[in-house]
Amino acid sequence: MFKLLKKALQVGEATVEYPFKPLEVAPGFRGKPIYNFQQCIACGACAIACPANAITMDYNLEKGIKSWKVFYGRCIFCGRCEEVCPTGAITLSPDFELAATAKEDLYCKADFRLTRCHLCGEYFVPAKELEYILAALEQAGQPGSASHITRQVMEVCPQCKRRQGIKTAVKSLPRAVGQQQGRG
Amino acid sequence: MSFSSQMKRGKKYPDALKDKFGTAVILEETYQTPEQLTITVDRNNLPDVVTELYYGHNGWLSNMIGNDERSINGCYALYYILSMEGNQNPQDNMWVTVKTLIPENDPQFPSVTPRVPAAVWYEREVRDMFGLEPEGIPDARRLVLPDDWPDNLYPLRKDAMDYRYRPESVEEKYDFIEVEGEGIVEVPLGPLHITSDEPGHFRLFVDGEYIVDADYRLFYIHRGMEKTAENRMDYDQVNFLAERVCGICGYTHSVAYSAAVESANGIEVPLRAQYIRTILLEVERLHSHFLNLGLAAHLVGFDSGFMHFFRVREKAMKMAEILTGGRKTYGMNLVGGVRRDILKEERDQILRLITELRKELDELLDILINTPNFLMRTRGVGKLERDVARDFSPVGPNMRGSGYARDNRADHPFAAYDRVPWEVVSKDGCDVLSRELVRAGELYQAFNIIERCLQEMPPGPILVEGFSYKPYTYALGATEAPRGENVHWVMTGDNQKLYRWRARAATYNNWPSLRYMFRGNAISDAPLIVASLDPCYSCTERVTVVDVRKKNVKTVSYNELENYCRERKYSPLKL
Repeated sequence: MFKLLKKALQVGEATVEYPFKPLEVAPGFRGKPIYNFQQCIACGACAIACPANAITMDYNLEKGIKSWKVFYGRCIFCGRCEEVCPTGAITLSPDFELAATAKEDLYCKADFRLTRCHLCGEYFVPAKELEYILAALEQAGQPGSASHITRQVMEVCPQCKRRQGIKTAVKSLPRAVGQQQGRG
Repeated sequence: MSFSSQMKRGKKYPDALKDKFGTAVILEETYQTPEQLTITVDRNNLPDVVTELYYGHNGWLSNMIGNDERSINGCYALYYILSMEGNQNPQDNMWVTVKTLIPENDPQFPSVTPRVPAAVWYEREVRDMFGLEPEGIPDARRLVLPDDWPDNLYPLRKDAMDYRYRPESVEEKYDFIEVEGEGIVEVPLGPLHITSDEPGHFRLFVDGEYIVDADYRLFYIHRGMEKTAENRMDYDQVNFLAERVCGICGYTHSVAYSAAVESANGIEVPLRAQYIRTILLEVERLHSHFLNLGLAAHLVGFDSGFMHFFRVREKAMKMAEILTGGRKTYGMNLVGGVRRDILKEERDQILRLITELRKELDELLDILINTPNFLMRTRGVGKLERDVARDFSPVGPNMRGSGYARDNRADHPFAAYDRVPWEVVSKDGCDVLSRELVRAGELYQAFNIIERCLQEMPPGPILVEGFSYKPYTYALGATEAPRGENVHWVMTGDNQKLYRWRARAATYNNWPSLRYMFRGNAISDAPLIVASLDPCYSCTERVTVVDVRKKNVKTVSYNELENYCRERKYSPLKL
C-alpha cells in the first residue's frame, strides 16, 4: 500500500486538461479526410476503394450531374481514399474533433457536370475527368493534332460503343476523323 | 503452387490414418502450402478421422468451416481444421484439414462432438448457417441465429437471401439448460443493456453462494460479416472489415485474413512487412494485456491498481498512434504487405517508450502481487482443469495458464516470430492467478520482441503488388492474438470477391469450456472468472440466478454483481 502511495505521489497528475488545452497527436495521425473540390475529377476511385462506403458517388442523368459525397459518420479513417486518389484531392488531416449536433453537418458534398455522349446525347462522364484524361494523354506525348480526335472518340458513351462496335463508332464520326483514325 | 514436394510436411499423419483405417479412408490429399494439408474423407469416416488426429496425434481443433460449394461440385463441404502440435521438432508441426463433401439432397453428417467435445459450437453454427444437420450432436440448440429467425432460412447458403435481408422479429424463446436439484438457484446475467458494449446472457445455477453449473447464450450481435464480405467487398476491403471483428485485437484479425489470402494465392510478403506486422501485433498485445491486468485488479476491488495499469497502458496506445496514425493498430494491412513504413525517428520513440514501460511494469506488478487481496481472490479460482482443456481446445493465456504451452507464434510461426528469440510463457495453476501471470510474462516477451524487430528489421519493400487471385483456391491464416489464436479461412471467388470467408476469433474456442470453470466457485467470483478469459470483455452485464433449493429465479444487474465481486459484501441474492 505504501509503495502504491509513493508511486502515486511520484507520478502526480496523469491526465491532461483536454478539451481546455489542445491535445497533441503524433505526426502522421489519421483524422478527418479533407476534400479539395478544385483538384477532384470525380473519377470515383475513392468511392470504390472506401471499405466502409463512407464515400459514395451518385449519378443524376436527368440533370447531368455526378455527386460526390462523404459521410464522416461512417468514415473509419483508413486513408484508402488518399492512397488511391490520382490527383491528391483528398488527404487525411490530424483533425479528430468531429462531433456535431446535427447529422447534416457530417456530410461533405460536391456536384460535377457531366458531358453528353456524342452519339446518343445521354450524359455519361464528368467533364473534368474527360479533360484530365486528355491532358494526361498530351503529357504522355500524344501529338496535339490527334487530341481532338481522341476527344471525339472519348465522348462516346460505353453503351453506344458497345451497341455499334468501335469501328462503327469511328465511322460515324466526321469523315476527316475516320480517315485519320484509319491511318493511325 | 510454387513450393516443391520436398518442402511438404507431415506425411506421417495421412500415413498413420491409412494404417489405422485402411488406405481407402483418404480420398484425396492436397497441399495448400507446405504446412497446410487437406485430406478428403467420406462423411461417414469423419468422426473417426477427426478423433484419431485429435487424441491420437496431439491435434487441436482450430476451426471448422461449412461451405456451400454446390456451384463448384454440387455439394456442401465441411472443413475441420486441426492444428497438429507437440512434435519434437517444431518444423514438423502443421495444419491438417479434414474435408468432407455432403450431397445437396441429403444435408446431414455424423456429428464429431460426442467424441471431440471441442467441435460443439462449430457444428451448431454450421447447422444454423447452412442447414447441415449434425446427426447425434448432444446439444442441438441454435447457436448463432436468433430464436425468432425463420426456420429453413440458412443465411450462408448462396441462394438463401440477400445480405441486407432482415426478417421480422417475433418474441424469442431459448431453452436454457435446466438444473434440477435441491437448493439450486438460477442467476440470469444479460442479455442486453444499452450501456454495455457487448451483450451476452449468462445463467448461473447456484446452491447458496456456489455455482453448480452455468449456461450461456451469445451472438446477440452477430453482424453477418462473412456474408457482407462475400457480397459487397473486394479482397483489400475485407482487411478493414476483419479488423472490426474485435475492438481490441483487431489487427490480428486483419493479419490472419491477409495471411490466408496470401497462402491461398502463393503471394510472398516482403520480409520488412513481416517484421512490421510482428511489431504491431505485439503492440496490440501490450495494450490488451495491460487492460486485462487492470481489469483483474478492478474486479478484486483494487481500483487504484486499475488506474495505474491504465495510466501505463496509455504509453502502448501512444506507440500505436506513432506507428499507425491511430490509437488502435488499425488500417495497416493490405493483401501482400503493409501500408506504412517505420521511420528511424519513430523507431527511436518506440524504443524509448519500451524502456519506460518495462520499468513501470516492474513496479506495478510488484505492487499488484504484494497486494494480499489479489492473491487471495485469484488463487485456485475458476480452475480450467487440464482434461477439460484437452477436450475443448481452448486457446491463449487461458490455455497457457493450465500448463499447456500452446502458442501459435511458436507452433506455427508466422510473420517474423521465427526470426527473433522469445519464449512461450505458461503456468500450471489452472486458475485466474496463473492466467494473469501468463499475461504479465507475455508483456515482457512482447517488449523483447518489439525491440529485437525494430533493431533487426531488414530494409526493402513493404508491399507487393501486381499478383493475381486464383479462383476457388483456399487456405487458412492464423495469428496469436492477445486472447489466443485467431484462425481465418478463405476461398477465393471468380469475381474479385471472396467465395467464403470464415473468421474465428480466439474467444469462440474459450467459451464452451467456461461452464466447467464456473463450477464450484462462489458467485461473487463469476465476473472475475469471465474476465480472466479476457473475452472481448463485458459479455456479461446481467445475470439470472436460479435457486435450485427455493426454485426461484432472480435477475441481477451486472453492476450489482460486479460490486459484489469487488466488495464481497451485500450479496445481491439476499436483497
